[in-house]
Amino acid sequence: MTPTAKPPIWRNVRFLAWAFQLVALALVVTLIAILANNVRVNSANLGVPVGLDFLKQPASFEIPANEFRSTQSVQSAMVQGALNTLRVAILGIVLATILGVLVGIGRLSGNWLVRNLSRIFVESIRNIPLLGIVVFAYLALVLSALPSVQESWELSGLVIANTRGTSGPWFTGAIVNVLASAALAGLVAWLIRRWRLSRLDQYGEAPNVFWWTAPVFVLVMFWTAFLLGIGVTTPMVDGRRVVGGITLQPEYFALLIALVIYTASHIAEIVRGSIQAVPRGQAEASMAMALSPVQRMRFVILPQATRIALPPLGNQYLNLLKNSSLGFVISYFELTKVTSTTIGNRSPAVPAYLLMMLLYLIASLSISAVVNFFNRRLRIH
Amino acid sequence: MTSMSKLLALLLAIVLAAGACTSSTTDNANTDSAAPADDAGETSDEGEPSDDADTEEEVVQLVQDEGGTLDAVLAAGVVRCGTRDALPGFAVLQNDGTHEGFDNDFCRAIAAAVLGDADAVEFIDLETADRFTALQSGEIDVLVRNTTWTASRDGGEGATFLQPNFYDGQGMMVAADSGIASVSDMDGTVVCVASGTTTEGNVANEFARLGIDGEVLSFESTDLIQEAFIAGRCDGWSSDVSQLSGLRSAFPDGPDSLTILPDVFSKEPLAPAVRDGDTAWAQAVNWAVFATIQAEEFGITSANVDDFLTSENPSILTFLGVEVDGATLDPGLGLPVDANYQVISQVGNYGEIFDTHIAPLGLARGENALWFDGGLLYAPPYR
Amino acid sequence: MTDTAPTAADQPTDPPLWSPSPSGSVSTWLKKNLFRSRLDGVVTVVAGTIILIAGFRFLRFVFVTGRWQIVRENLSLYLTGSWPEEHLWRLVVVVVGLALIAGFIGGFSAGRIDDDPSRAVSLAGRDRLVDLGSRLWPLVVTVALLLALTTTIGPLLVAAGAIVAAVAGNMAGRAVPGGMSAVPVVVGVLFLTLAGIWLLNAGLSWNSWGGMVLNLSLATISIALCFPIGVLLALARRSEYPILRWLSTGYIELFRGVPLIGLLLMANVALGFFIPNSLAPGKVVRAIVIFVLFTSAYIAEIVRGGLQSVPPGQIEAGKANGLTPIPIITRIVLPQAIRNVIPALVGQFISLFKDTTLAGAAMGLTDLLGGAEASTAQADFRGQGLIAETLVFVLLIFWAGSYTMSRESQRLETKLGVGER
Repeated sequence: MTPTAKPPIWRNVRFLAWAFQLVALALVVTLIAILANNVRVNSANLGVPVGLDFLKQPASFEIPANEFRSTQSVQSAMVQGALNTLRVAILGIVLATILGVLVGIGRLSGNWLVRNLSRIFVESIRNIPLLGIVVFAYLALVLSALPSVQESWELSGLVIANTRGTSGPWFTGAIVNVLASAALAGLVAWLIRRWRLSRLDQYGEAPNVFWWTAPVFVLVMFWTAFLLGIGVTTPMVDGRRVVGGITLQPEYFALLIALVIYTASHIAEIVRGSIQAVPRGQAEASMAMALSPVQRMRFVILPQATRIALPPLGNQYLNLLKNSSLGFVISYFELTKVTSTTIGNRSPAVPAYLLMMLLYLIASLSISAVVNFFNRRLRIH
Repeated sequence: MTSMSKLLALLLAIVLAAGACTSSTTDNANTDSAAPADDAGETSDEGEPSDDADTEEEVVQLVQDEGGTLDAVLAAGVVRCGTRDALPGFAVLQNDGTHEGFDNDFCRAIAAAVLGDADAVEFIDLETADRFTALQSGEIDVLVRNTTWTASRDGGEGATFLQPNFYDGQGMMVAADSGIASVSDMDGTVVCVASGTTTEGNVANEFARLGIDGEVLSFESTDLIQEAFIAGRCDGWSSDVSQLSGLRSAFPDGPDSLTILPDVFSKEPLAPAVRDGDTAWAQAVNWAVFATIQAEEFGITSANVDDFLTSENPSILTFLGVEVDGATLDPGLGLPVDANYQVISQVGNYGEIFDTHIAPLGLARGENALWFDGGLLYAPPYR
Repeated sequence: MTDTAPTAADQPTDPPLWSPSPSGSVSTWLKKNLFRSRLDGVVTVVAGTIILIAGFRFLRFVFVTGRWQIVRENLSLYLTGSWPEEHLWRLVVVVVGLALIAGFIGGFSAGRIDDDPSRAVSLAGRDRLVDLGSRLWPLVVTVALLLALTTTIGPLLVAAGAIVAAVAGNMAGRAVPGGMSAVPVVVGVLFLTLAGIWLLNAGLSWNSWGGMVLNLSLATISIALCFPIGVLLALARRSEYPILRWLSTGYIELFRGVPLIGLLLMANVALGFFIPNSLAPGKVVRAIVIFVLFTSAYIAEIVRGGLQSVPPGQIEAGKANGLTPIPIITRIVLPQAIRNVIPALVGQFISLFKDTTLAGAAMGLTDLLGGAEASTAQADFRGQGLIAETLVFVLLIFWAGSYTMSRESQRLETKLGVGER
């Protein structure tokens, strides 16, 4: 046996592996550098700025229903757009989850009508382009269903609905005060909940969490609202517009409806698959324990199905966030629409779009992080 | 060893795949631009002060060739004309796949003048957002897409605007029973417009000037604006008066249910545009447009053009490219001597084009009448 | 914009619509299926009301209030865009060729699966027709509707030719001896597809493509191009080399984190800045490049899932047999991994097919949806609010295509025995 000689460097596996990786890295870096250089040169040739200076320019367009004046900067327009994206995405995620879980359970219902209604819903919505649903929701479900502003629907002066939007009562005063008040009330309610649960553990008292926390929450909110000078306004029709209260635009509604039903049809399939993946013995065991069907779902099946469903659900949440960019088509001023509009108003295209992509990327990664966090917590060790 | 060859294979495959992708992309790019590469004469280093970029220029390799487009069009035998596919009166995609409209006819006129064949046009549908990009990148030869000539577009978009083929202005349309008589009555209203145009800003400016408060809602498609307008989402609909007239004439509840307010709050000269720094091609396009105007001044139409070939009037004969006293005029525009004859016989004069496409919208000639009829149309003499 | 593809748990388990118990009467069926408890009864009434109202409104729209003339007159615009008549034969050849290939693949895979006696499903004569009908009815109904709307004999002949070609292809596929490798078949199919694209492209430059042809070609070309890239990305993401892993992960997360419509808008407006203008391709090519970049990130994740499902013992066995890494990957790991993810890949193709409408919206291509919009501006139809009719028609076509594909992929999943072997 000859002693193992050290291989020459060009046959050293570790060296070669790193060399090839570095070459790959260099290729990618070069490609990016060439693209960046092209942007610089082409922009210079066309006299288009490349930096982020455009953010300081006046936006010179308005964002409907957002108190945004055209004299404000492009930067605040993009911030407003990002907020509008989050507004529709967060509520959409909550509603799509609720509807999706209901339909997913409905797919497995013993009721023939419910089972087939759920199936028709899923199979029809899942297989058509979202773009079509968005346009359809805007035209058919919102614009033609609601009355014009002169013939508004009113609900005892509290809610007013017409094609200009749906208005309801809202707080007056700084939004920070409202948030602070809600946060304080939430904190107190959470402490009460903890106390009730500890009583349950110690003395076996019925916790009745809801009946304890809800009145406390309302009381604390009222009290702090009074202290902070927060009032309430109700909407009122004044000529061609609705004043007071808070108004949700029809575009927002249409986009929300479309995103919710489209995502729910996908979530329903995930929920169905996850429920079916829960071992049958679990359901049988809970039947043997005389749990009612609702209890069986609530305490035995769904908790286990959630663990299976969470990763694909996270993907759906990401999709919903990105799909909110279709608001662009029906003039809902979310991030994509704001970016396109400002580019139409002579903001430079490359930096504006790259900034938009970066914002979406940050939001996506945040959602991923939240889903991963829950995924880790739910995992069985 | 094993991991190395695995890695080698992987890298090789990545490079191959990337290579395959790029090469297929470029192949496609080459096949779909029918013209040779030199048609891409773009905003060039020669035309503009190049202070900082002298080495970078080689990296981008902008192809520069003065007068390239005319040669490229002649070589390709087709004019690539940027229009749109759904603008009543101006450019509409028909159910048999052909394009019809005012702008399309001017594309045909250019093709008739340059190539002698009005059908040698390839129409390329463009969105508002990408029309200048398409022109800059050489995807089209000429932009005839309802585009307003403004200083910053002339200066900043790498485009040169030519003789306007339509003088328009922005107006406002409201429901006839709305009680709105002028824009100053529109405090607290919502106005729907098409996005990505100068329209949004004009409405905001007009509202600011009148000191009134309103919302502007911009949409991507005209269909959506109409549906929103019918549903009462907006009180006003603002656009160029020509377009408003077209929309009004075809409104489901009849034209009388709508009123176009008397206020016209912007100047919108709609003009063809070509790439900067391409004089020969710009002149060719310009004189194709002038041909239609001059023909109307002479009273020559597509129906009677052949009668004029034996006219007594030497100006007319010169205009039609007929020999006068043993000589035909070739003004040196790079066009065939019978270019004007081809335009008139195959497309028609300005009045004919207007009557075919714009008059059905219910719009009068107005500013678009000949200069001696009180309009703005005036062709320089052809001599 | 892209949906998670159906998972392995996503198998058809729908019970038959009507299954009366042998001794049951209608009332027992009702009691068993609709009114098991008071709550159940309430739910039934609510669901029934929804179905009645929605069904009534939809039927009234389709048969009474809908004005379908615009669809009838613009059929060719919707299906083929501005395709010139003298080049129509190219489309016909491609359609018939596609039917032939589809039939061949169906017959080929059926023949190979039938050879495996444990999973042979042989249906004869009438049962076979019933089986086909229950599987393909949305497609059949839609094609029948399209044929009923046409006014000329041409489309009928094409449809007949396509059916004949499909049957012939099926029989040819079955005739291939079962032991033969699938490689030449795959290569042949790819080659024929490329030839079809070339045949179409020779007639008409990319920029003039339109209608449903455009949607289908965008989806097909993009999925074909992004598949190899996706596989390589997945391999790189699971490789033991950190830099490759970072690059691949970065790429995948980047493209999964941004909206497709944003990328398309950017390619439409800003591409000219990134590459020399003289090299900037036309819109259709731009759309394909964006779809490829975007979808390969998703394919990579799907394939990665497939790779993870291959037991490590397989690789070890390959090594024990003295195979070098490349054959281990190409002959052992990938075949198993890809078989496991075929349904997910079909799901990705379906979402890509649906997403091609975004190219129309963002780049102004006259695809199926764009054609529908353009038709509402024609002199005969403009301003009449016909957007609902055109939209419903377009969505029906998308639905029929996507639904059939997803059903067939579920069937394939069962047949391949994913999760069983």
